Amino acid sequence: MSAVISPIREPLVNGHKTYHQITEDICSPTEKAPGKSWIVAFILAVSCLGFGVACILWTIWQGIGTWDLNRTIGWGWDITNFVWWVGIGHAGTLISAILLLFRQKWRTGVNRAAEAMTIFAVICAALFPGIHMGRIWLAFFVFPYPNTRGPLWVNFNSPLLWDVFAISTYFTVSLLFWYTGLVPDFATVRDRARGFRKKFYNFLSFGWTGKAKHWQRWEALSLVLAGLATPLVLSVHTIVSFDFATSIIPGWHTTIFPPYFVAGAIFSGFAMVLTLMLITRKVLKLEDYITLAHIESMNKVILLTGTIVGVAYLTELFIAWYSGFVYEQFAFYNRATGIYWWSYFGMMSCNVLAPQFFWFKKLRRSIVFTFFMSIFINIGMWFERFVIIATTLARDYLPSAWSYYIPTWVEIGIFVGTLGIFFTFFLLFTRIAPVVAIAEVKSILKTAGDQYTGPEVYEAEKRKKQNEHAQ
Amino acid sequence: MKDQHNNIWIGVQDKTNDPALEEITKQEFYELPIVDALADEDMMEKSSPNRRDFLKYLGFGLGAATVAAGCEIPVKKAIPYVVKPDSIVPGVATYYASSFVNGGDYCSILVKTREGRPIKIEGNPSSPITKGGTSARAQACVLSLYNTERTQSPLSVSDGKAMSWADLDKAVKSKLTASSNVRILTNTILSPTTKQAIADFKLKYPNTQVVTYDPISSAAMLLANEACFGDRVIPNYHFDKANVVVTFGADFLGSWISPVEYAADWVKNRTIKDASHPKMSRLISVENGMSLTGSNADNRILIKPSEQGAAVLALYNAVAKLGGGESVSTSTSVNAAAAKALNEAAKELVANQGKSLIVSNSNDKNVQIVVNKLNDLLASYGNTISFEGASLQKQGVETNVQTLIKEMGAGSVDVVIVNGANPAYDLPNAEAFKTAFAKVGTKISFAGTVDETTSLCDYVAPDNNLLESWGDAEPKRGHYSLIQPTINPLYDTRQKEASLLAWADNNISYLDYLKQNWQNNMFPAQSAFATFQGFWDNALHDGVFHAPKASTATAFAGDVQSAAASIKGSSGNDVEINFYETVNMGAGQYADNPWLQEMPDPVNRTVWGNYLGVNITFDGKNAYKTFRDLKQDSKGNTDFAKITTKGGEVTIPSNPTFGQMDNTVSAGLGYGRVKVSSTGQMVGANLFPMCTTNDDGLTQYWAVCEVEKNGVDREYACVQYHNTMGVKGKVDGTDDLINVDEKVLGIDGYQGSLTGRSIIYNAHVKETGPFIDELKKKRDFADHLNVKTLYPGHDDKYTMGHHWAMHIDLNACTGCAACTVACMAENNVPVVGKKEVFRHHEMTWLRIDRYFYGDVNNPNVVYQPMMCQHCDNAPCENVCPVAATNHSSEGLNQMTYNRCIGTRYCANNCPYKVRRFNWFDYTTADLWPANEYSINGEELPFGADNLTRMVLNPDVTVRSRGVIEKCSFCVQRIQEGKLLAKRESRKLKDNDVKTACQTACPTGAITFGDRNNKSGKLSEKLKSPLNYLALEEINTASSVNYTAKIHNRNTKMDA
Repeated sequence: MSAVISPIREPLVNGHKTYHQITEDICSPTEKAPGKSWIVAFILAVSCLGFGVACILWTIWQGIGTWDLNRTIGWGWDITNFVWWVGIGHAGTLISAILLLFRQKWRTGVNRAAEAMTIFAVICAALFPGIHMGRIWLAFFVFPYPNTRGPLWVNFNSPLLWDVFAISTYFTVSLLFWYTGLVPDFATVRDRARGFRKKFYNFLSFGWTGKAKHWQRWEALSLVLAGLATPLVLSVHTIVSFDFATSIIPGWHTTIFPPYFVAGAIFSGFAMVLTLMLITRKVLKLEDYITLAHIESMNKVILLTGTIVGVAYLTELFIAWYSGFVYEQFAFYNRATGIYWWSYFGMMSCNVLAPQFFWFKKLRRSIVFTFFMSIFINIGMWFERFVIIATTLARDYLPSAWSYYIPTWVEIGIFVGTLGIFFTFFLLFTRIAPVVAIAEVKSILKTAGDQYTGPEVYEAEKRKKQNEHAQ
Repeated sequence: MKDQHNNIWIGVQDKTNDPALEEITKQEFYELPIVDALADEDMMEKSSPNRRDFLKYLGFGLGAATVAAGCEIPVKKAIPYVVKPDSIVPGVATYYASSFVNGGDYCSILVKTREGRPIKIEGNPSSPITKGGTSARAQACVLSLYNTERTQSPLSVSDGKAMSWADLDKAVKSKLTASSNVRILTNTILSPTTKQAIADFKLKYPNTQVVTYDPISSAAMLLANEACFGDRVIPNYHFDKANVVVTFGADFLGSWISPVEYAADWVKNRTIKDASHPKMSRLISVENGMSLTGSNADNRILIKPSEQGAAVLALYNAVAKLGGGESVSTSTSVNAAAAKALNEAAKELVANQGKSLIVSNSNDKNVQIVVNKLNDLLASYGNTISFEGASLQKQGVETNVQTLIKEMGAGSVDVVIVNGANPAYDLPNAEAFKTAFAKVGTKISFAGTVDETTSLCDYVAPDNNLLESWGDAEPKRGHYSLIQPTINPLYDTRQKEASLLAWADNNISYLDYLKQNWQNNMFPAQSAFATFQGFWDNALHDGVFHAPKASTATAFAGDVQSAAASIKGSSGNDVEINFYETVNMGAGQYADNPWLQEMPDPVNRTVWGNYLGVNITFDGKNAYKTFRDLKQDSKGNTDFAKITTKGGEVTIPSNPTFGQMDNTVSAGLGYGRVKVSSTGQMVGANLFPMCTTNDDGLTQYWAVCEVEKNGVDREYACVQYHNTMGVKGKVDGTDDLINVDEKVLGIDGYQGSLTGRSIIYNAHVKETGPFIDELKKKRDFADHLNVKTLYPGHDDKYTMGHHWAMHIDLNACTGCAACTVACMAENNVPVVGKKEVFRHHEMTWLRIDRYFYGDVNNPNVVYQPMMCQHCDNAPCENVCPVAATNHSSEGLNQMTYNRCIGTRYCANNCPYKVRRFNWFDYTTADLWPANEYSINGEELPFGADNLTRMVLNPDVTVRSRGVIEKCSFCVQRIQEGKLLAKRESRKLKDNDVKTACQTACPTGAITFGDRNNKSGKLSEKLKSPLNYLALEEINTASSVNYTAKIHNRNTKMDA
């Protein structure tokens, strides 16, 4: 088998794992008492969550006036955070769906965590369109349900409504996809568990027995969901970008937004996957499953999407100049040099310049460098959304209405709160579910395990052949 | 009975065949009708609930809870009339003609009442003075009626206890004897009948004297006119007859004497009636800080406040030289730039003899004598100035009050009756007044709300509010105006005239007294009515009555030489501060009116406080310099300035502004009230103590000062951060004019990306022709851009029925902000307070953008009223996820408040940024009071009280927290107009619908109407080739047309 694999392909599972060892390695975090670092992290995450909830309740009780938005700048940190979280949620589906269709084996090491991250990120994202409403208690107005008001329907022309459909569809499909993948693994955990845990995981695994028919259906379902999810990867952020692209505000009203947003979303999603996986593989000792090869692959995606984003930024500037439209020219000039120049600078340096270091293989394979880079990109992508939203609104058509915006503690608190939600969920996830897809890793062991493939094996085979030849 | 149920039994009664059960099981619906059962109290008491009852109650309870929870705002009070008054039709407004009078402020008004409560002020078109126009102050007066902190009954101040009127009268009369020295301390009294009542009071107490002064005084004019013409009065100015107007500091469009009247007159020669033959008068303003009048002027000549006398003399000598009059000798001189410009002005004045007009706000008698002589030289008297119908709106001379202080200090005054004046606040030597006032035996105040002087008095005999009063006014000689009550007194108050008469033992009702006075004095002056009742009814209906009086003024007989010799020169190089009367605050008497506090100052665009205007100049490179480096940034911060004068020191925020003369600063009076209703307390700083007094004892509204930076104000409540639209200046070492605002923003590489916007257009009157061609080209280009559409074939959608639109003439708009306040009153726009305005949470539906253009160091100004443009391709409409904002078939952009969920997407996508979001519970509409917003730290949040809420217009929904609101084109008035037309079975006429801003405007700058009505007024206005739509090229198809600003600047006056 190993003979058909190119010798330059690196193995994706190290440590000469057997199937049993894989089960042991990946199931063990769910079977042990949590370590100190987990407990500290969990307390921190829950505290952030609690503070965020308090800020949200304060906002609902007192009004959106607790934020520093104003007559000119109607969206600030709220929608910035919304777009940022939705963007982060993109890597999961990309890895699970598109890479599945492309038969990329390296996805198996990271897809579970990436999908989980997607779900938690979308939960965080979905919070903002809700709480940014002045009257959240009437949020059900956005759903097209039959009613006694005429009936009064929603406005199907509004990109915000498209968002409602896009995000909810994306969330549903992602959740199904993630859970489908988890079923056989939950069964594995169940088979090793006793007492209440056994019951619990038995419930979660829907009575999976590992029959051939189960596997067949499972494979079929995975493929169908992958087929459904693939267009979603492109559509969700395209639709989010419509919030801006279909508007009339210079700096928002651009046709480049859909591809630019999708590339940016994948870019930021991969950065977040890296941030999480670099810590997880260390803490949960999963270095053999999430290898440097995985990290390098993801860094390559980051380099590609980061460069696409960079080209998009430059294209915007060029079009602003080339259009000869005074408002557009001013909008972009203002972005780069106006009162919010620092956020544009942050965006450009973190998103465009920083990833260029990944042209160097050494840096692509450096864990420390990758970690810092992933943080940079997360920050840079947050700035990108802030630049698009707040700085554009602060300087639009009528100079008389120009204004300025800095967040209040409530807005910062809500953002911190979503980080809390995200990490609380993620920490619980690492305790409850196998963070690497056991079944899927096992499926590639014999084609990508280091005892079967890779340069070492190739060398050994070659030596063996030479020896045979010599004899 | 056969045991038929033995197999199936539910209760033990079944089993035992209880006969009672047998009985009821025969009737299937034995308990119905339930209403009867419920009505039968005996039965209800006896019966105990059973299972079916339980289910019924449960069902009813659930249903009731659902219904109750479904109604967001419970209707709290709805009391129908038992006997409906004849004059009140619920839902239909009644208008009463009345007058707005406060000191010398006057406006003839119609009071709109709904169900017996006044809710809105409209201008009275029958008035020959105000001609249907209003001022912001007049518009706001209805809110003062509902001030929750009005004095509610007669008061003994020392123990703070309420008294009965009988006790008060007894107490006061016990202090009054025929020999008492009584002083009535008052500001200008316009009412002839009040004066009559005082005269009657005087008969009883002959040692009574009336001490009249005005906090912002025109005493010098009165004295000068007495000296020159033998008539102590302010003459009748005809700004409509002048081709050239020169004003020395007189803000006649904003606050000087009679701004509503003057603005309407002045604008007559400012609007372009025939664009192919444009004609326009010229206004030259000689001042140091930009006043509202200065901002409307074509040329501003910058002088220091101390140079005003010298400037008048310089102009006089220049005119005398050219026009052949005797020149005067003087040792004074003005700065070189002003001298040159004044020479140019003199040429124009001489060329327009008989068609020119000079006014000055100087409170130096000698200066006013020279001004009079100048007007005389230019043949203004008889042409642009007359003494027939002279103004009585300023009658006070402040030396009177200084004499009173001396008398009081000497202990020779027994009783002082304060009639609305507030000398403890508004005198430069208020402290001296307070000390002397304490020595007076009995002090009585008529004030209806607490103020600094009233709190020093012994008794308060609270006067009715204006809208609860009978009264009259004579703002100009022979022009009479009636005040009639529009609501019963809300509290136990009494008209001040009735109090005076009661103390003089005359117990006639004031209405009878008023009628008597009119019968004796006004009725004989007319011949149209034979009976007094007919005359009275007609006057009351019209609100005004005109009986021309012959003038007693003589020809000019002043001694200009000696006056000139007494005029002092400039103070040298000291920094000087100029104190001016703001458009909204007056002399502080409006400080407790939240609408006026929240109204942005037209020039500074600041609210809730006074700000120090300091100079901005272009440094010739790439930045602005400000005086003493007092900076304001675009993040809502500005430097505090500490002002030190001989009269004390205060610290107020600075407001760097264009057009302020270097080395001078200016600040508004009327702020910093301490004893006032809580919404107005401690807003800004009181600058009256800094005013100085000249040799004649007249107050001078300027001082030598020192200014220094003193920390940073991080709550700078200014609604406009970017101020310029195409100011030009020279870069060092070149003569090329560049766009300074773009240079300063660092975008000079993109010339036009700021100033090339299609927001404001302006041109010189002589270049109107080429400008029209250029404008047409731009509009054609915009049309070209807008040809492509996703949804073609809908162009004829609005050709049927009505298609509402508005026209705003930027040449007629003076920026006075009457419309802003009118809009707040009409549309229940909430007041949010200083902090919220600083956060740019102001709720005004109509704002007046102010842009500087032209010479960066001495710019011109254009005002642009900006409200919802009712775009036919409205960007806000398609983005709302719940369709809460949509388009009517008549072209209105409609807002459905109860559908709005507050995503603010519409506000973001509005290119004109006119949508307003309810950030907090500003209207106190939430079900719980815990999050009500108090605007100035007051205990009872403004608007939370039912009394304040009486001012709300019942035709307009009060918006709750979390929804967007915006200008509706006064859709309630459109509806009212339609109903009227329908009732009269006719088509809607243009005049049936007028928006609140339109009716408030003193100059007729705003025209609203149906553009499908080709014969209407609007269609007429839409024909002007000077019209444009703001941001036309983005294809919003807006419905508000602006007429480009045309100015008439004389560039020869520029230095």
